[in-house]
Amino acid sequence: MKNRVEEIRKRHGIKQEELAAALEVTRQTIGSLENGRYKPSITLAFKLARYFHMSIEDIFIYEEEKENEK
Amino acid sequence: MKNSVKDHCLVIIGLILFVAGLIIVKTLSEPQGVMRALPYVCIGIGCGIFGQGMGNIISRKAVKNNPDIYKQIEIGKKDERNITIANRAKAKSYDMMIFVFGALMVSFALMGVEVTALLLLVFAYLFVIFYGIYYRFKYEKEM
Repeated sequence: MKNRVEEIRKRHGIKQEELAAALEVTRQTIGSLENGRYKPSITLAFKLARYFHMSIEDIFIYEEEKENEK
Repeated sequence: MKNSVKDHCLVIIGLILFVAGLIIVKTLSEPQGVMRALPYVCIGIGCGIFGQGMGNIISRKAVKNNPDIYKQIEIGKKDERNITIANRAKAKSYDMMIFVFGALMVSFALMGVEVTALLLLVFAYLFVIFYGIYYRFKYEKEM
């Protein structure tokens, strides 16, 4: 699963620390999320979507074939 | 406030155990049976409880005047990635424990260790495994 968190965050001119504080997670979580190393819970995905006033599908891209290969 | 009272109680209990252990060591000249180990067990447990309580009190005082650090620590504790990492590490160590304790029990049996000690180890091992099975069923119903 890919995501556009880094792109969207930079477009909004927000630092990782600021986003982390707003979502009540650590900066490392935001970093891992942006690198694609960590898949967030549905709660955090909703928090992110609400923070940016977007839908989850606009932020997270589900790639069915790649997911099934794992 | 509740935690503060609990920590102060821990400090007092720890000190009492520690002092009681020291008194028993000094007063008993030729201890027999369980009394040979009991004072040292008291000192050990007392130190542990005292350290736990005092550590909590000191850390609470350290962050008392610094709400930013306190908030950061709270976020770190509740962070879902940190929790996932801790749970995965625990699961890995549990899997390893099953193998290590299994091998240890076989080794003890081959070494001819006393049956009582061996049976205690087997029961403890089975208890942990059944505890895991119980929670598997419990979570199966919940989720």
